[in-house]
Amino acid sequence: MRNEGHPIPAEATSADRSHGARVDRVAGFGAAVALSGCVALPFVEFRENRIASGVGEAVTAAGWLGWLACALLAAALVAAFLPHAIRARALPAVAAVSTAVVVAALGSAATTLQEGQPAFARVSIGPGAWVAIVGIAVVWFAAWRASADVRTRWLAVALAVAGVGAAALWGGVPELSLAKEYAAQSRRFWPLVGQHLTLAGAGIGFGALIGIPLGVVASRSRIARQVGIGVVAIIQTIPSMAMLGLLIAPLAALGVRAIGTTPAIIALTLYALLPIVRNTFVGLAGVDPAALDAGRGMGMGRARLFLGVEVPLALPLVLEGIRAAAVLVIGIAAVTAFIGAGGLGVLVFQGWGQQADDLTLLGAVPMVVLAVAADALMRGLGRVVVSPGIREEAAA
Amino acid sequence: MIRLTEVTKRYGETLAVDRISLEVPTGEVSVLIGPSGCGKTTTLRMINRLIEPTSGLIEIDGEDVMSVSPEELRRRIGYVIQSVGLFPHLTVAENIATVPRLLGWKRERIASRVRELLAVVGLEPAEYAEKYPRQLSGGQAQRVGVARALAADPPVLLMDEPFGAVDPLTRERLQAAFERIQREVRKTVVLVTHDVDEAIRLGDRIALMRTGRLEQYDAPEALLDHPASKFVHDFVGADRALKRLGRVRVADVMRTDVVMTADGTRKIDVAACSGGRFVYLVDDDGVLEGWVDCRVLAAGTPAEEAGTRVDWREAAATPDTTLKDALSQMLGLGFRDLAVVDDRGRLLGEVSLRAIEQTMSGSDAHVSNLAEGEVLGAPADTGEGEVE
Ligand SMILES: Nc1ncnc2c1ncn2[C@@H]1O[C@H](COP(=O)(O)OP(=O)(O)OP(=O)(O)O)[C@@H](O)[C@H]1O
Ligand SMILES: [Mg+2]
Repeated sequence: MRNEGHPIPAEATSADRSHGARVDRVAGFGAAVALSGCVALPFVEFRENRIASGVGEAVTAAGWLGWLACALLAAALVAAFLPHAIRARALPAVAAVSTAVVVAALGSAATTLQEGQPAFARVSIGPGAWVAIVGIAVVWFAAWRASADVRTRWLAVALAVAGVGAAALWGGVPELSLAKEYAAQSRRFWPLVGQHLTLAGAGIGFGALIGIPLGVVASRSRIARQVGIGVVAIIQTIPSMAMLGLLIAPLAALGVRAIGTTPAIIALTLYALLPIVRNTFVGLAGVDPAALDAGRGMGMGRARLFLGVEVPLALPLVLEGIRAAAVLVIGIAAVTAFIGAGGLGVLVFQGWGQQADDLTLLGAVPMVVLAVAADALMRGLGRVVVSPGIREEAAA
Repeated sequence: MIRLTEVTKRYGETLAVDRISLEVPTGEVSVLIGPSGCGKTTTLRMINRLIEPTSGLIEIDGEDVMSVSPEELRRRIGYVIQSVGLFPHLTVAENIATVPRLLGWKRERIASRVRELLAVVGLEPAEYAEKYPRQLSGGQAQRVGVARALAADPPVLLMDEPFGAVDPLTRERLQAAFERIQREVRKTVVLVTHDVDEAIRLGDRIALMRTGRLEQYDAPEALLDHPASKFVHDFVGADRALKRLGRVRVADVMRTDVVMTADGTRKIDVAACSGGRFVYLVDDDGVLEGWVDCRVLAAGTPAEEAGTRVDWREAAATPDTTLKDALSQMLGLGFRDLAVVDDRGRLLGEVSLRAIEQTMSGSDAHVSNLAEGEVLGAPADTGEGEVE
């Protein structure tokens, strides 16, 4: 009697779990890292030209914006110790504002330091600013967790985007070396981004097209499972450079040139396979046998059982596999620049070749952004297509 | 009607089911019971062809099940499995709608059928229809499982330990709900259980199995009174007089001419005790709140002190309670009389220990049978009623 009528409480969300804690350790850690980076390490580096070695300049070079950035990071540190009710709003706010102010401080420092210097002098982002950026990213993560409601989150994102946008337009951001590098490469940059997306997208697409059926077959037959997953796992262990080399011979035998887009996509597809095959298999194998038995017992045919029960129940893991593959492939796609497939790797390798660190960054930073975006996109997709009944985070 | 004729299922060397023949009349409940591994599940699953028999004939209403496609057959047979097996990604309403959807019913018809079934199994449609299985308690999930099996109003229902995985109190309520539903819908039911008391309570007939063979197939009374073998006798256990009480409901023996008052204890005096032992105290809606003991009152104690306040959930039976459960409740509470209330606590009457005793001794059969049991050579019975 008593245990009826009381629905079992849905699984606690991550936001719930941080409720209890008196201190948000993650936010505190991020803020402390960011603050110490800001204070203790060179905030920007001054170079006589784009390939000269840099001279570190402290955050004070940014003037009042530098002081403001430090103050905000200190505020973030304090916010981590506030009660949860306040923290849930304070952390997103301080994360958003400090993001914008650090960017503006970089611009301000660049403008100040280059005043009266020759046109080819450069100011690039220093180790202190990098550490601050990483620390702020951690604060963002904590803020995301602490703020349970969607409105606060997106308000914070909008605030940060507006602030960074304003800094880019009216602050000295275009004076930064990275921005100058972008200005010089602007005609190549977006096509390279496009190529990178095409390569990674094709790899993930073909990986899913081949990997999902392979996973299904693996879940039906023991031999297919042992052989299929074994082979795919071995592929995964091959270093990416070696893979591109290994592909030369078989491709030559097929009459395909080992240089260019085709071998790159083949290699990326092979890398995408393992997470997709394995997760599809694990997802299907994990379907509750009682649900299958009930379905069969109610007269569902094989196709209905597969599409109506197995697929929706395995879906979260399949999507997770695709997500992992996407992040992996976006990284590996950089290497395929070596065989002339293009992509953001081109900028990275050229940057290395010329010892122009900021050109390397111009390739690397967008790759990180792409990976983070792909990750967020797949998680968002999961939230839309996975039934609330089996979602990790309960839709209470 | 379901008829099994010489049905056998062989797995390599093991005979899981060995030449079983039995008939389940339309609208009756047959319970399959027996020690673990005796072939209950196998028998049940052969009826809807989840398992194909090695030999023998299975007919439903005279039609050989092998002559129908398995999918079509199963859509006509409700099926409840022990682990419930609700689809976790579908809401309660969608789970219940499974078979109607397979049958291509119209949307409105499905929706109204879902609401109707939720009400039948005692779940508020507005509250539960859109919940997901993981938001349900074990007992609620079982109810949904039963509703899902009943969805397309199949004439036949197969249930494999449908009330197995819940606590005793919930099980009792589920059994009562099943009895109530079955009184209304009159399905032809084959139910598998491990619990002798459950078999006796719910079964119109009980099929006791042992290593793939049918030991005895009879009405519960016949099984209790005339065990066909020592195995049956031992399986049913020594406390058959008590088990017998599991067949009788409180409703059958309760008195309804009880004295009750909604005025509290103020106006109660000895004169109010017209014959009965107790004056029951109820609230304005008739919900049981306590009672005053007339003997204590007669001894000169003021009514306030002679009164006892109780929670009807703990100190009363319902008309569906079996006498066996009512008796154990009396023994537990130390009462010789037990109030009977409906499911909202409104007083309906009382049942007395004496009435239960009369029911027990009213059938002399069990007495002679106990002796018979000894003739069969049963050692001192251990009284074990449940087999795991
Ligand atoms: N697929 C199978 N392969 C081989 N043997 C089987 C198979 N299924 C059942 N058996 C055997 O058949 C016999 C009957 O099994 P069944 O599941 O019908 O028992 P049961 O009476 O339902 O038992 P329980 O009360 O434990 O559920 C058992 O000895 C079991 O080991
Ligand atoms: Mg079984």
